[in-house]
Amino acid sequence: MSTAVILTVSLILVFAITLFGAFRGRLQSRDLEGWLVNSRRMGSFLVWFLLGSEIYTAFTFEGLAGYAYKNGAAAFYNVALNDVAYAIGFFVLPTIWLIGRRFRFVTQSDFIAGRYRSKPLGVFVALTSALIMIAYIDLNITGLSAVVQVIGNGAISDVWSDIIGFLILAVAVYLGGIRGNALQAAIKDILMFVALGALFFAVPLRYFGGFGPMYAQFAEKIPNYLVLPGVSKHLGVTWLITTVLLNGVGQWMWPQWFGVSFTAKNPRTLKLQAVFMPFYQLVKVAVITIGFAAVIVLGASKQINGNNVVMMLATRTFPEWFVILFTVAAMLAAIIPAGPIIMTSASLLARNVYQALRPGTTDEQVYRITRGLVFPLTVIALILTLALPSLIVSILLVAYDFISQFFPAVVIGGLFWRRATKQGVVAGLVTGWTVAAYLVLSGHDPLNGWNAGLVALLANLVVFFVVSLLTRPVSAEYLDLFYADAFPRRNSDTGPAAEAGRA
Amino acid sequence: MRRVLVAWLFTVLLILFLYVGATALWMNRVKPLVLGMPLLYFWFVLVPLLNPPILGLLYLYDRRHNPQWRSGETR
Repeated sequence: MSTAVILTVSLILVFAITLFGAFRGRLQSRDLEGWLVNSRRMGSFLVWFLLGSEIYTAFTFEGLAGYAYKNGAAAFYNVALNDVAYAIGFFVLPTIWLIGRRFRFVTQSDFIAGRYRSKPLGVFVALTSALIMIAYIDLNITGLSAVVQVIGNGAISDVWSDIIGFLILAVAVYLGGIRGNALQAAIKDILMFVALGALFFAVPLRYFGGFGPMYAQFAEKIPNYLVLPGVSKHLGVTWLITTVLLNGVGQWMWPQWFGVSFTAKNPRTLKLQAVFMPFYQLVKVAVITIGFAAVIVLGASKQINGNNVVMMLATRTFPEWFVILFTVAAMLAAIIPAGPIIMTSASLLARNVYQALRPGTTDEQVYRITRGLVFPLTVIALILTLALPSLIVSILLVAYDFISQFFPAVVIGGLFWRRATKQGVVAGLVTGWTVAAYLVLSGHDPLNGWNAGLVALLANLVVFFVVSLLTRPVSAEYLDLFYADAFPRRNSDTGPAAEAGRA
Repeated sequence: MRRVLVAWLFTVLLILFLYVGATALWMNRVKPLVLGMPLLYFWFVLVPLLNPPILGLLYLYDRRHNPQWRSGETR
């Protein structure tokens, strides 16, 4: 079977799966709330896959094995950070859901503008996070190219595969909304489980004679890949602690993940996700294992792009017809997670920027503008990837560090510290972003073993607290009403907040 | 609500400790092999399996004591 046939069949299957989700989801996508958060009625099954899809992306499929192949045990940071985030999300997401339902919030900027009673702050947050998210769309486009490069050997140009793949995505998002994306995610994740599971079992049996001999060879031949900092040299235990801390608190600050919390039909759905999502992490351990195995099977060569080792082992291990499954799973892993990112970016610009600046805009108009922005945003992301790859690399280098800087605004001030002010939020954000950009782009990450993003977050926190204490907070009466559902009074029979909570 | 918050914070810190504290203190080694696996690798297989029961206990405690449940389910 030629590579062109494999790629063509794979693209047809990807097209079919995305359209299936789109058409199943379109009936529940008739207004902005339906299209973007499925009218807050998604159950545990689909939310599990939707969250899983956002977290287990092309990076998990390709990049994580590459990270283990290059940096050894440092890759375990990626297992730890999500689990810490699930534990944080156990309380944070349902609380935000309760507030979101009360005020019909559908984006992170809605929440921040509502909490701090400031539309300009909402515009500021929407614009900055949309910019970061467009760069993240590009990461997925790059992931798609990597699949085509390995499988195709140049049979189809990666530019054309990018264009085809993201046109499919844009159509699917436009039609199916978040409901359609969740259905696509379920299929994508099942394919990913099958593909990675098959490789996880096949590699030890074929190249090592079983799991026991494989682990024995790991310990004997590549012990420096199994400890920190080991082969990475500079990614030690301090780096692990600070990176897990930063990314654990930062995960839910990504607007598309934050938005997934609004899709749930009740807080229980979100709490159950936190309980069961850690099982998903075993997939990441399997991918890391494949990365370690690749060091022995393929050899530790600088000529090999680490991101390609999963596909290289797949093509070497399985018959061609099975490689199609890998190709489809990897392509979907690049395309499907980009859906909520595009949708969230579009809604941030339409609802939190356009409607905020032109208050006369109706919800129906916002819905049409949001959907209309899907295609231009996808095209912009594609053009940036093709024309300015170095700019994208720079933004991506700081993206996670930048997004994590929202933690004080969203969680500390957003949920717990009533004294926080919008001035404190802006001053803290600008400080955090400046410090992060300087440290990362000047090559000071890690800084004395510390993740640069956490250093920036600490600077952000200091400024956030100091400026908040020096400026005027939102009135207590407003906050009582704002938090009435999220923090109901202990004695529920008295007080205006308790009354509002039952309204 | 306070005891719910304390239980939640304790759980977050426990999971954080299992991943990074225990790794830094005891698990950042290749040997001894456990069930044939290198020690650090084994630890990162084990902890994702421990977390669902830990969070499950928090879920049961939270369900009993968190007043948000009433807010979330009544409408």
